[in-house]
Amino acid sequence: MTPAPLVLNGLVVGAILFALGLVGILARRNLIVMFLCAELMLQGISVSLVSWSRHHGDWGGHVLVIFVLTVAACEAAVALVFVLQAFSRTGRLDSAAWQSLRESNLPRVVDHELPAVDTVPHMFPRLTPAGIEPPVDEDALLEREQV
Amino acid sequence: MPDLSPSTLLVLVPLLPLVGAILTVALGRVLGPRAHLPAVAGIAASAAVAITLLVGMAREVGVGESGHDHAARPVEMVTTLWEWASVPDAQASGADASSAATSFSIPVALRLDPLTSTLLVIITFVGLLVAIYSIGYMHGDPGYPRFFALVSMFVFSMTMLVAASNFLLVYVFWEAVGACSYLLIGFWFTKPEAAKAAKKAFLVNRVGDFGLAVATFLLWMTYGTLNFHDTSLADGTTVPGILGATRLADAAGYVGGAVGTAICLLLLLAACGKSAQLPLHVWLPDAMEGPTPASALIHAATMVTAGIYLVARSAPLFVACPGALTLVSVVGATTALIAALIGTVQNDLKRVLAYSTISQLGYMFASLGTGTLLGFTAAIFHLVTHAFFKALLFMGAGSVMHSMGGVIDMRRFGGLRRVMPITAATFLVGSLALAGVAPFAGFFSKDEILASLHSRGWPDAHGEQHESAPAGGHAALNPAFQGSGPAFQASGPVFRLASVTPDAAQLAGGVRGSGLDAINSPATWRLLFWMSLVTAGLTAFYTFRAVFMTFTGPTRVPEEAAHHSHGGAGSAAHESPPSMTIPLVILAGLSAVSGWWLFSSHSLATFLAATPSFTAPSVASTAVPPVFHWDLAIQGTLAAAIGIVIAALGHLGKRSDGPQMERFLGPLETLFANRFYIDQIYAALIVKPLELLATVAAVFDRYVIDGLVDLLARIPLGLGGIVRQFQSGLLQRYALAGVIGMLLIVLALVARAMG
Repeated sequence: MTPAPLVLNGLVVGAILFALGLVGILARRNLIVMFLCAELMLQGISVSLVSWSRHHGDWGGHVLVIFVLTVAACEAAVALVFVLQAFSRTGRLDSAAWQSLRESNLPRVVDHELPAVDTVPHMFPRLTPAGIEPPVDEDALLEREQV
Repeated sequence: MPDLSPSTLLVLVPLLPLVGAILTVALGRVLGPRAHLPAVAGIAASAAVAITLLVGMAREVGVGESGHDHAARPVEMVTTLWEWASVPDAQASGADASSAATSFSIPVALRLDPLTSTLLVIITFVGLLVAIYSIGYMHGDPGYPRFFALVSMFVFSMTMLVAASNFLLVYVFWEAVGACSYLLIGFWFTKPEAAKAAKKAFLVNRVGDFGLAVATFLLWMTYGTLNFHDTSLADGTTVPGILGATRLADAAGYVGGAVGTAICLLLLLAACGKSAQLPLHVWLPDAMEGPTPASALIHAATMVTAGIYLVARSAPLFVACPGALTLVSVVGATTALIAALIGTVQNDLKRVLAYSTISQLGYMFASLGTGTLLGFTAAIFHLVTHAFFKALLFMGAGSVMHSMGGVIDMRRFGGLRRVMPITAATFLVGSLALAGVAPFAGFFSKDEILASLHSRGWPDAHGEQHESAPAGGHAALNPAFQGSGPAFQASGPVFRLASVTPDAAQLAGGVRGSGLDAINSPATWRLLFWMSLVTAGLTAFYTFRAVFMTFTGPTRVPEEAAHHSHGGAGSAAHESPPSMTIPLVILAGLSAVSGWWLFSSHSLATFLAATPSFTAPSVASTAVPPVFHWDLAIQGTLAAAIGIVIAALGHLGKRSDGPQMERFLGPLETLFANRFYIDQIYAALIVKPLELLATVAAVFDRYVIDGLVDLLARIPLGLGGIVRQFQSGLLQRYALAGVIGMLLIVLALVARAMG
């Protein structure tokens, strides 16, 4: 039997890990980083489980953590395949690239334009374009067969 | 051979046209150009039966038998077909309800008496002639079967109306003839004016029908029954009918005063609606949009006489309320004068005849309102002769219209006597009858009407005239007379005339008078007499103006007549086919001789005096031996002659589109041509406010009620719009929503655990 305050430490660590992972999923746009944060949440839960299990002297928590680790590994495989597919479709690892399932009256969320860095403009020759430029469809731009 | 008792025959009279109508509806398409056969056969058979009944009834009354100077005894025959409705233990309150249980029962009963049989013959016979005429007139019309079905249906409804022995049944068939009239006026319903005219006729008639309905309610409340005839209940008591023998013999059988006057005024309103009197006359001129045979049948001879019939039938009711009775005459004479004035400036031949009909009906009402037996019989006499000559005139106008290719404006044709000699000759006969020229029919009937008005306006002079008449003493107009002569004999069964003393008090002022009785004074009657005399002159004027404009002068035919071909050479106008001219000739013959024949033998007067309604003591006591009033005849003929001469001065032999005589009238001509602005007044007083109300209702419906419903519909839309904002398509926002939800659940659990 472990004394009570040790549980608290373990729970706090677990909570911190979980919170960090949660915030990360919500705040980061990079698909791989989002996945990392999901793993982080899982690890936080694992720490909490181990602490509780040591507190109660029950091996059930430890066993469940082993299960969680196994499942996390399988999940990692699946998730990374999914991220790869997503990247090959759009060429970007940005979760905001996937907006086409929104309501028809809502506008597309675009990033604020960063102010342009004032560089010396290269005097590249400009050729007059021949023909009419077709209209640009943002969603269609992301639909590439392969990168 | 089936049982041919009088009651069976009476049932056959309306039944045969009904069967004809049903057969026409069923077989019309199949029969094609012979679709008239069931209808014409039905009406012809019905006419034959009606004439048989008339002959039988005349024999029963003893018409033509000499030595009959006693008061007529009422003759009636009632046939009850079945019990239509019955509510036991209904209570009727009122002065005359018998205290025995008055159960509300409406038997479908037909009653045959002299008045009914006269009208049945008129209706079926004129109906037959019109049906035969329509074979030629409506030839080639796509609605040919429909027309005959409607005419047959109309004859059925009208015969039932005059034969019904119950006020509710009368109301039912009153409405039925109104419906048939609507369908016939709007026969060519694709023409907007015809549809509007049909609507107008029906709506104006509804105002009258409202009067009849309320009168029926009041009659039930006052008299406890709606039957005309006496009915005996199962326990042996008799429920006295409103016009049954029991009540007629009772001197105090009829209610006067406010209730009685109300009933009579409402009946008068109904009669005004159906018979096109002021103020409900506005539908008749517009009703000329219908086919001419329909106009001839309905708006000249039969339907418009339903009002006359109603008032004549309710004679005892009216005589008990002298004020209402006088009002009947006032309305009639006023309408006669105004319609005659309007008719003088009409250029459409059918409109002239329409206003003439209104005017002549006014005469009949004026005569009915005198309350004397002479007045009532004169009105019916005029009804009979008017049916003949007015139907003749209308059918003649139809003949003209048919051959002029649909043109009926008199200024566009002229001199037609060379083109259509038979039509011209019969039209002339009809016009002479209408104008009241001796010895044609209208002369005698108009003379009797003037005599009845004269007798009320100058009672003393009239009384002397009758006392000096060869038939011997008489007459209730002299209150001192006690009936000691051979005038009244109590003879026959108990409920014939039992009372011997003539009750002149009813004529003089009424038992329990109402305020309206003040108009019942000799001065009123004198005014009405002079109005009628002037109207007689105007009648002759406008009739002969029409005759001269149409049939004399240089022969002119409009272009539409040339386009109208009868499958022959397709050349200019010609006389109508025999199916149209034969009825004209028959009616011309009747117009010429019927007046003289009916008057000289006094057959009609004697016959009608046996009608139960006219054997009531209050009416029958005014019986006078028939005498030919030479002074009135001379006055009437003079008025007619003046009218004819003025018309001849203006139009005989002249072109009909030349300068019209109206220029002598000046501003009055505009007044008459605009029909005294009555239509405009009604439009402003009644139609406009109703349209305004309808617009307000429409706006309210569209914006307020529909607006409320739309508002309710916007709520889900709004809610949906709010929820829709969350569907951004962004994965992280969905995850955020999930996290927030989870947070709320955790907080709730913690809060519960804590406290």
